[in-house]
Amino acid sequence: MKKRKNLYLLALLPFLVVAFMYEIIPLITVIVNSFQSDSGGGFTLENYHTVSSRLLYQMAVTNSLKISLISAGIGILIAFLGARAAMNVGSRFRRVFMTILNMVSNFAGIPLAFAYMILLGNAGIIVQLGRTMGWDALANYNLYTSNGLAMVYVYFQIPLSTLLLIPAFHAIRKEWKEASMLLGAGSSTFWLKVGIPVLMPSILDTFSILFANALAAYATVYAIMMNSISLLPIQIAGCFVGEVKIQKGLGGALSVTMMVIMVIMILLTSTISKRFQKGVKKA
Amino acid sequence: MKKHRAGSGIILLLILVWLLIPLIVTIIYSLFQNWTGIIPRGFSLKAYAEIFSDPAFLSALGRTILICIIPILITILLVLLALFVTGLFFPGLERVVQIICMIPYTIQGVILSVSILSMYVANKTFLGNRLVMLTGAYCIIILPYIYQGIRNGMRAVNMPVLIEAAETLGASRIYAYFRIIVPNIISSVIVSSLLAVGIIFGDYVLVRNLDGSAFQNIQIYLYQAMKSDSMKSSAVFVVIMAVTFAISAVVLWIQGHQGKHSEKTAK
Amino acid sequence: MSYIRFENLSKNYGQKEVLKDINLEIEKGTLVTLLGPSGCGKSTLLRCLAGLETVSSGKIFLDGKDITDISPRDRGIGMVFQQYSLFPNMTVEQNIAFGLKIKKTDKNIIQEKVNDIINIVGLKEQAKQYPSQLSGGQQQRAALARAIVTEPKVLLLDEPLSAIDALLRHSLQIEIRRIQQELGITAIFVTHDQDEAMVMSDVIHLMYQGHMEQSGRPTELYTKPATKFVASFIGHYNLLDAPVMKKICGADIASESIAFRPELIQVSTEPVEDPDSYMIPGEIAFSLPHGNILRYAVMCGDTQVDVDALFGTEAPYCIGDRIYLSIRKDDCIYL
Repeated sequence: MKKRKNLYLLALLPFLVVAFMYEIIPLITVIVNSFQSDSGGGFTLENYHTVSSRLLYQMAVTNSLKISLISAGIGILIAFLGARAAMNVGSRFRRVFMTILNMVSNFAGIPLAFAYMILLGNAGIIVQLGRTMGWDALANYNLYTSNGLAMVYVYFQIPLSTLLLIPAFHAIRKEWKEASMLLGAGSSTFWLKVGIPVLMPSILDTFSILFANALAAYATVYAIMMNSISLLPIQIAGCFVGEVKIQKGLGGALSVTMMVIMVIMILLTSTISKRFQKGVKKA
Repeated sequence: MKKHRAGSGIILLLILVWLLIPLIVTIIYSLFQNWTGIIPRGFSLKAYAEIFSDPAFLSALGRTILICIIPILITILLVLLALFVTGLFFPGLERVVQIICMIPYTIQGVILSVSILSMYVANKTFLGNRLVMLTGAYCIIILPYIYQGIRNGMRAVNMPVLIEAAETLGASRIYAYFRIIVPNIISSVIVSSLLAVGIIFGDYVLVRNLDGSAFQNIQIYLYQAMKSDSMKSSAVFVVIMAVTFAISAVVLWIQGHQGKHSEKTAK
Repeated sequence: MSYIRFENLSKNYGQKEVLKDINLEIEKGTLVTLLGPSGCGKSTLLRCLAGLETVSSGKIFLDGKDITDISPRDRGIGMVFQQYSLFPNMTVEQNIAFGLKIKKTDKNIIQEKVNDIINIVGLKEQAKQYPSQLSGGQQQRAALARAIVTEPKVLLLDEPLSAIDALLRHSLQIEIRRIQQELGITAIFVTHDQDEAMVMSDVIHLMYQGHMEQSGRPTELYTKPATKFVASFIGHYNLLDAPVMKKICGADIASESIAFRPELIQVSTEPVEDPDSYMIPGEIAFSLPHGNILRYAVMCGDTQVDVDALFGTEAPYCIGDRIYLSIRKDDCIYL
């Protein structure tokens, strides 16, 4: 009986083989490579030294952090307003809203970059509209800067974050709102004292997903900026795919840096989130 | 209360307008020859006629579809087998499978592609083949979605009880798994495969990093067209978005169906 | 020789002993209940018999055969689960036919047997429907039909009615009992509901913390509890320790404690001297109507004694009334 049971482990084998060949071992290789010099030789911290001392890579880290934090922050804010509003309208409108969000959530990468170039590029429709109408803010909009780019990031964060937050709002019971109203609290007091604290774990989780999403975004930026902005994904890809020779070590160190940033963000949000949970079951 | 509702409606409308403008503008753009002023002029379907008569476009589309199907089939099979083993015989290993399946969710495309590339690029066997690498990478990148879909399906049908019931009726576990559990989670499998299609269809990172531009999928085609002809590329854009939306519409439709189904059961 | 026999059966989950040296015999054609609070091991025992759990030590015999190491599919058991377990992709009919199909029964015979059983459980109109279209009660009827259509040696029912609302539950209890007797099925029914056990069983086996606390016919368990646990779990016994008894009525009891049922207590406003009874003075604390009886909570010193009186036969007592309880010594159980 026992022996036969172990025979079934064979069915797990294909899964493990593929996972190890294309996920686990490659990842380990990248980490190992990051501690090896591209010019040969044994263990070294040289690559990490390069990452922390060269301006190009310092910029990549700070730019990536900045754009990820900003776009995730704005994304959460809009998602909060959107999800709360979605709870207040009729169920039919809510369904339409969510359906559109669902569809638009697949709108990313190259097509998104393209649409924004049509819209806000140098000869973009809206920029031209701004020029004809004399609206300076629109006429002078420059998509090809990190601020201009942030707009595109915010765009792809919104559908995802709103879809992630709406279920959490279902956990805010109408009875709580009614009870707090009967106790004399206004709407803003309710949200400040009850609503947001209850939602906080979901907000933080969503934030960390958005952050990771922005940090790893590549296609959109690459299509708009090519290599003219220093961001972690761009630099990483540049180390492996490009005209110059492959720099496994440096690329590895950059990849590890990016993974470490993601892990830190996950740990950070989940630690804070635990402090909010108390007796509340996660929504 | 009424006022509240109107305010909320306005917020939702603003979000929708913001989200839909780039789409709508690009669609209009693909249909007019000249849009330099405020009003677009010169309605024409020329761009669409052009791309659909371009063999390069059609083969890019074909390649994309092909490279969708193979990894999805492989991954579904792998996950079904893995969850068969962990669900029925080694529940302790479930956690390991789960972790392996969720890692790609956090590392995402860039790191995955460069790590596979640096490992196999110098390999002289078939493993060094760019398409093999790409297929492997796609299998991994869709793993979280396929895993979650199948896992949720199993939870929804309450797999342990059904297996036990079938066993007491004289069926073997293998029979019960493939004849009862799998048919019952087929809609979850379809939904997660469609999500996976959406991901591979929208992929640019993996294909670019692993295959250079040798394997021209639809995204690469769009990227290259963008540099030369924006009307043509906006038509390509519309085709891509139409396919993507069609996929999510089917997913939503199936999910809505499932939802009704399970609600009834719950009663 | 008995039809089903558990011999020195034990089951551990790691350090935790879930079943402790169970010895139990079950006669053919009877419906016995494994009754007990949640976590007492009753479901585990049933699942060991079904082969869905492996045993740590001991043996299980079914119809003279040692089945301890046989796989569940070859044991010849039918089982109805607590959760709805119908296969959602099959109609009621297909669900019921499943076991017969596995056994490669002839198609015509399958059809005939399925039709018969569908009539017996009263699902004729739902035969072509899918489980999601059925109510909870109908689903469990179909599950019952599916379990018995293969004519298993024993039918196991693992709290099959616990998810069903009270009114329907009662009618299903009676129906399951009827079908069991009509078809002469040997059945083991697991429940934590003592009323359900009373209504349905030939024999009740009361379990507590992994061992058999007491076995017997329903009336036996009710009138002659063997342990304090049985007295508190079945019926609604007043259970008083010897020192308390000494304090409230001055009586010396040889045993550790005394148990008596609320409905066997006489209430009077004057003390009644009777050498064959205990007499306890007390004060009515409150009263609650329970259907056709009125339950008084009487405070005797610091101890509460529950007393049942039939409703409406005489004027009820009021809160604060000082009364005397007399309990015939023959009606008491010494534990």
